[in-house]
Amino acid sequence: MNEAVKTEAIPLVLPTKAEITPAMRAAAIVVVVGIVSGVIAMTASGYWLSNFTQAYCMTLGVLGCALLYGQLGLVSLCQWALVGVGGWISLRVYHSFHPPFLVTMLAGGAGASVIGMIWGLPALRMRGLYLALVTLMLAGAFQTLVIVTSFPVGGPGFLGQVGASGNDRIMMARPLLASSDTGYFLFVAGVTLVCIFLVEAHRRSKPGRAWALIRKHEHMAVAAGVKIVFYKAWAFALSGFLAGIAGALLAGLFGQLDASAFPPTNSIVIFIGTLLGGYEVWLGAFLGGILTRFIPALLIDLNVNTNVGFMIFGVALLFALRDPLGLGGQLTILAERLYQKLQAQRAS
Amino acid sequence: MNLLPFVASGIGLGAVYALSSVGLVILYRASGTLNFAFGAFGGVSAFLAWELTQDGLPAPVGWIVGVAVSTAIAYAYGRFFAPRLSHRDRVVRAVATLGLALVLLGAMALYWGVGVARRLVLPTDLNFVMLFGVRMSATRLVALGVALAMVCGVGLLLNRTRIGLGMRALASDRNISATIGVRVIEIDSFAWLVNGMFAGIAGILLANINRLDPGFLTFLVIPAIAAAILGRLSSLPGAFIGGMVAGMIEALLVAVPEVASLRSAGPYVAALIFLMIVGAGQGVGARE
Repeated sequence: MNEAVKTEAIPLVLPTKAEITPAMRAAAIVVVVGIVSGVIAMTASGYWLSNFTQAYCMTLGVLGCALLYGQLGLVSLCQWALVGVGGWISLRVYHSFHPPFLVTMLAGGAGASVIGMIWGLPALRMRGLYLALVTLMLAGAFQTLVIVTSFPVGGPGFLGQVGASGNDRIMMARPLLASSDTGYFLFVAGVTLVCIFLVEAHRRSKPGRAWALIRKHEHMAVAAGVKIVFYKAWAFALSGFLAGIAGALLAGLFGQLDASAFPPTNSIVIFIGTLLGGYEVWLGAFLGGILTRFIPALLIDLNVNTNVGFMIFGVALLFALRDPLGLGGQLTILAERLYQKLQAQRAS
Repeated sequence: MNLLPFVASGIGLGAVYALSSVGLVILYRASGTLNFAFGAFGGVSAFLAWELTQDGLPAPVGWIVGVAVSTAIAYAYGRFFAPRLSHRDRVVRAVATLGLALVLLGAMALYWGVGVARRLVLPTDLNFVMLFGVRMSATRLVALGVALAMVCGVGLLLNRTRIGLGMRALASDRNISATIGVRVIEIDSFAWLVNGMFAGIAGILLANINRLDPGFLTFLVIPAIAAAILGRLSSLPGAFIGGMVAGMIEALLVAVPEVASLRSAGPYVAALIFLMIVGAGQGVGARE
């Protein structure tokens, strides 16, 4: 009897930490992106508004890069080239059919998604270093190709070029309801939010579980019935789609795209943004993407040579490699601990 | 069409690519690190050589200082930073060198500027030889001679010296080599030193054959990697031949007007096709 009393005295359920539900995570995404975007829209000058719009486009590139690295451990060094592919296709579609902006944007996303999947084909046979090499070569090859073909500007033929004077260039129109700089920035912020939810939905459903298993052990994944080729191709397609959307949004921001703006260096910077921000959480991609544009823009604003930016990114990469959580990961852990502390205090 | 003139003009570029891919493979075999900063090392060497020559110093002093500095940077990275990442996988170690490449690219662009039409002039530019009916500068033949001599020198180093034996041991199995007493960090650092020397010489030659530009020289590493892939990242003769083939492909594409402007992408496309058809095979770290 005494034994039974003693057993009952021991708590069977240890006190659990306050649970963070998917709904709370979703609310956090909306609140953080909403507040940051709102503050930027209300306070930023024209220069900073343009740069933050570009930063959000970078965020989409980083989101795709983080998806591949965080979920599958695949290093893609051609993400900025895929942004260029999306931009090229959306400009081509716009100048051919003049569809509404959303259709143009989705066409850019879909096109880059297909190209991204094709570029990812080598990953079906090899990964690790070889994939990084292949994607870097693709980034180099894209730069050569786009400098020769340039981006369509409304001229005749498939390439859509105009004469040397360039006076006949046609600018791509922005969405009707977001034609002002502030309106367009908020539109881009909205698209970024939707894309973050798209990736989160993937990570927390069947594809996410398949990717996790593939990353853990490919043979184990095959034994568990995961279709490796299908899910790897899916990841590349989704990553390409995000980059393509970013390309279309950039084309909408400037009305056209400059071929010299797509060197392999930018793809490397996107990968650095992925590591700096952290690839495990959505906040990492958001912050990493913003930083990749914010730092060069700040240097220009301070009249500092922009090449210093390369040096900053280079040093940042050397340090970021030692911290897999990144800025976003650290902040997420901090926020979760704070929330659990508050809940514990409330409960007591 | 007579393609021999194009083959002749591809000799210089092929030699630079061969030198670069051999330099990359030596380091990769010994330390498992693919050095993305190879082109940036070459850029530093070429710019220093140019700067010192502009300042009135004899050209050989410029070359020696340029190669010495690129070698010193490579050695310093290999000795002091690379060991901190030695426990990480190959892709992380390679990505870290991208950071070094960006730092050097930024420093070069900051100090020497970008978009300026410059070329490093070498004394051999004034001498010409007739090859396959084409009048070409002696520099291109010198580049081929230097590349051949350095590859032979490295072959002797690997096969006839104790440190070469250590490098071969590390290429075979790092853990077992360390267990039996091979001084891993010393040999890794030496491999970095050789890599920096190859990069310095390749950079000077490329700055002469093509142009002196920070971005262009930094991204010499991409065709060099393509050439090294043609040699499966493991074979030195394979890397040399891969480099010559990559240079020839670029030169021969000039003969096809439809794709002549895309010729610089030729080596990448060749390497990608090679990988898709042949695969990484048993190349070092192919499936890591």
